[in-house]
Amino acid sequence: MLLVLVLVTIGVFLIVRIVPGDPAQMVLGLKARPEQIADMHHRLGLDQPIGQQFISFVGTLFTTGDTGQSIAYNVSSKALVLSRLPVSLWLIGCSAVLVVAISLPLAMVAALHKGSWIDQLVRIVPTITLGMPEFWVGLVFVLLFAVTLKIFPVGGIQPGIDGMLYSMALPSLTIALAQTPFIVRSLRTRILEVLKSDYVVTLRAAHLPERVIHRHVLRNALLPALQLYGMKISFLVGGTLVVEQVFGLPGVGSLLFSAITARDFPLIQAIAIYCALGVVLISVIVEIIGGLIDYRVRGELGCEQAGEAA
Amino acid sequence: MKKTRTFSALRTALTAATAAVLAISLAACSQTGGSTTAGTSASGDQTTFTYARSAAVTSLNLWTEITSNNAFAIDKIFEPLVSFDKNGKIIDWLAKSHKISDDGLTYTFTLRDGLKFSNGKNVTAEDAVFSIEQHQAEKDAALPLTADIASVTAPDEKTVEIKLNSPYTPLLAELANFSNGVVPKDFGGKSEKDFFANPVGTGPFVVSKWDKSGDLTFTKNEHYWQKGKPGITKLVYKLVEDGTQAVNQLKAGQVDGIEDPALENLDELENGNDTKVETAGSWVTHTFFFNTADEHFSDVHVRRALAYALNRSDVTKAVSFGHADTAKTVLPKAIEYSTQDSIKPVDNDLAKAKEELAQSKYPSGFDAKILLASGNNAYSQAAQLLQSAAAKIGVKLEIESVDIATFRSRFKAFDYQIMINSAQADYPDADSIIDFQADPDGFSKSYWTSYSNPEVTDELKKAQVTPDGDERAALYEKIQQTLADEVPYIPLYSPQIVKAVRKNVTGLEVLPNNSVRFQDVKIG
Amino acid sequence: MNQFTAVLRRAPRTLVAGIALLAIMVLAVLIIPLLSPYNPTAEDISSMLQPPSLAHPFGTDQLGRDMLVRVAAAGRVDLALMIGVELLPFIIGTAAGLIAGYYGGWPNRAITLLSDALIAFPFYLLVAVVAFVTGTGITGIFLTFLIMGWIIFARTVKGATASLAGAEWVESARVMGFSDTSILVHQMLPNVLSQAVIVLVSDMVALLVAIVTLGYLGLGVTPPTPDWGTMIAGGQSFLATRWWVSTLPGAAVVLVGVALALIGDGLNDARRQA
Repeated sequence: MLLVLVLVTIGVFLIVRIVPGDPAQMVLGLKARPEQIADMHHRLGLDQPIGQQFISFVGTLFTTGDTGQSIAYNVSSKALVLSRLPVSLWLIGCSAVLVVAISLPLAMVAALHKGSWIDQLVRIVPTITLGMPEFWVGLVFVLLFAVTLKIFPVGGIQPGIDGMLYSMALPSLTIALAQTPFIVRSLRTRILEVLKSDYVVTLRAAHLPERVIHRHVLRNALLPALQLYGMKISFLVGGTLVVEQVFGLPGVGSLLFSAITARDFPLIQAIAIYCALGVVLISVIVEIIGGLIDYRVRGELGCEQAGEAA
Repeated sequence: MKKTRTFSALRTALTAATAAVLAISLAACSQTGGSTTAGTSASGDQTTFTYARSAAVTSLNLWTEITSNNAFAIDKIFEPLVSFDKNGKIIDWLAKSHKISDDGLTYTFTLRDGLKFSNGKNVTAEDAVFSIEQHQAEKDAALPLTADIASVTAPDEKTVEIKLNSPYTPLLAELANFSNGVVPKDFGGKSEKDFFANPVGTGPFVVSKWDKSGDLTFTKNEHYWQKGKPGITKLVYKLVEDGTQAVNQLKAGQVDGIEDPALENLDELENGNDTKVETAGSWVTHTFFFNTADEHFSDVHVRRALAYALNRSDVTKAVSFGHADTAKTVLPKAIEYSTQDSIKPVDNDLAKAKEELAQSKYPSGFDAKILLASGNNAYSQAAQLLQSAAAKIGVKLEIESVDIATFRSRFKAFDYQIMINSAQADYPDADSIIDFQADPDGFSKSYWTSYSNPEVTDELKKAQVTPDGDERAALYEKIQQTLADEVPYIPLYSPQIVKAVRKNVTGLEVLPNNSVRFQDVKIG
Repeated sequence: MNQFTAVLRRAPRTLVAGIALLAIMVLAVLIIPLLSPYNPTAEDISSMLQPPSLAHPFGTDQLGRDMLVRVAAAGRVDLALMIGVELLPFIIGTAAGLIAGYYGGWPNRAITLLSDALIAFPFYLLVAVVAFVTGTGITGIFLTFLIMGWIIFARTVKGATASLAGAEWVESARVMGFSDTSILVHQMLPNVLSQAVIVLVSDMVALLVAIVTLGYLGLGVTPPTPDWGTMIAGGQSFLATRWWVSTLPGAAVVLVGVALALIGDGLNDARRQA
């Protein structure tokens, strides 16, 4: 895992310097004179050999934990990323909650009525959102719910916790809709597997009320689905960019977008390194949950079912 | 035991989910009633104007900055001796009058009475002298004064005198630039860095909260010299990077104005129930530039052939939605001496286009590329139109779309054949455009076209020292005709400067450099 | 013929519906440009931004081009791109997965490390970097998905291979003197391929949406080549006033998406039944 971080650090450092484009040109504007640009390169240390730049970058990273001053914004890149992080975390969190809130009832109903029209409906309708680009869904939501109906804000963040939730409604729903089909399908499959298991058959044989059986089924199906979703979330880190852009949210994604446009090397590096850290943390958590499930599921369902979990 | 724990965890998760969904819908309900209009939070005399802009303010140093994100914040804080109006005409600003000696060597400015900085201190001629000298000494100056200045002095408290070694007509227009705003002498005792972190000027607004990667909030300057102004107490520069998002925020009333609405959105905003647009003539011309150092485009017949093949009014019609003039000459109409109404351009004549190509080194056509910065819808449409126009005379153009940073590095290294870009005057004088676009000895080498015509170079140098009047007009007329005939670039269209605002906003003065004045703005 | 109908009857309904829908889309995309009197790249400014009518059933765009023929022409580009772009990652990913799953050890560790590092890398940064180096357009799209696309196949196939690798029949094959390559190609591959194909179909939807999103971010197919993404993106400013400019290409994407999703679902069911 540490090796992943090292690879990302080296990768991002090299990659931003391979790309054509010059941060000084972007900051100083179209009419910048060559002397001004040379002067700025010198101040930023961009006139030094790439090896030396790398050594000084890694040096500061390890001694102070800092990733350098942002070129475009003239402030610490670390502070900038940290100040934008909450919005992205709220966005990921809210969409995760919505995904569960939407998928769970749908999957349960579909599984309990396997093969019926309800089941077909639940399996087919969400696939429509699979083929819809998030930016498109977002634009339509803005026009419909914000501009026309005025139920939600068009974009940006309103102050306070309730303001935050209010501002997150449409963006997180946009992300959730893209994730739901996948989660509904795997959750439904899981639930069906559990329903078929010896364990549930035994419960049924004991004439337990259906309600109680459902509760057991749900519990056993939910965790693996959550683990699966955890893997998806790691794609979301830094991948909320499009939705942040469409809804004008000041998160890490939109920061990355402008950092890349401005060729703000220190800021791009900071974002890449912190995102990689986030992804690594999430996969560690997912693995821990995975271990937990294996243990539980093996205990309750028997090994052959658990082996097929992948 | 284990089972109950799992279950309770599950229940907690579900409760949390339900609570969140509830909270969101509750929040929605509670806020629908008072549809959140940003501007009219009219508690007492408080009025806030929220202005959506696509880039954050990163520095307020008036001497080193040039990009519009910073420039149009700086010009709310600092003001120059002279300025310009909606039509680009130079007007006295902090000076109540100015005089230019007959030999063009002495400029005398008399300051207005009762001028104060936002900290309440009086403005004296010494402050103005300090500002100009500091500007001249700044080695990173983005818009340096080009005149050969001998001295800047303050003969008395109210008089500023600039003496030149040789005449330079564009000086007055250059002084109207935001970069010649007046700062307190010696930065009022602070270091330069501290001063620009919390600047003090004579402008209508004072910085009160500043996030360099986000919003900037101004409050009204209580000591502003225009009595009773500004009419608003707070001005918020809100960062909204996405254009469509900004339009929708305006429609919903989350912002009161948009700095740069896309041309595609104008008819919608103009005819909207709650929105309108304010316009002014502009100093911008969107232009196809030819790299005349390229083997194909060094041939004047090739350039003329393409100019004849293209129908510029089609381009204007396709991209501007009625908010631009088709450009016939390099100088936009809002700049004095533009011959937009009289010039004969090389335009829209397929027969002549074929004739020209037949006379060129490539009578049977050739392949070339148009370099385009991605993400600009209007430029992409214009490039496609040039592509099909060229195809009609056997020239096969391919569109090469790269991101803006790559685009800049490429054309500045002369690594392109045809590109589309905007040409803009910084100050209201023909020289601002002509010098940048036709002087092969300047660092921009005729706007990176490498175009060189000694006759034009002579004429433009002469026009710099010729006083305003018929003689100067004749020089610029000749230059414009030569540039139109030799086609180092095809000027396409000059869009109006457009600001979109809520219907209840009045008094917004739109300026031809794309900035605005807020002091007369009222909401409701 | 009887056999065919029998197969059809046995096949999951979602699979049949998906294939039918996709076939209709493909046919439309192939036939419309042949029948239409309009050229997808011929401008006519005098008829710009016209709403749908008999002459232009899908309306016209900003340069007065017929939208119906453009949506169809874009479909040819995007569908071909979708298949072309997915092919190499599918092969590479499946091979990597087979090797990692069968041998374990350092090949497995190397492949896992590489895929973990790539996933930890912000996707948009990678896309942007590739596009900036190659210039926006088809090459950039191809390279980006080559770099990222193989991972999902590698992971799926690795899991499936690893669970087979310990099986008795593999052991006996080895004892009988079959080479590793032979076991991998003749024994393992056929067994894991069905799973990889299911992933392939559902990944194609994601890929199509990703290509379209790149168009929105200004990193997609270069004009004047028609492409659903750039068409949707170019029309987004008109969404409130001239809905057809970006809604109709959007609808095409959704239809293809649904078709592929149905096929994926159906294949999954078919595999379970088998």
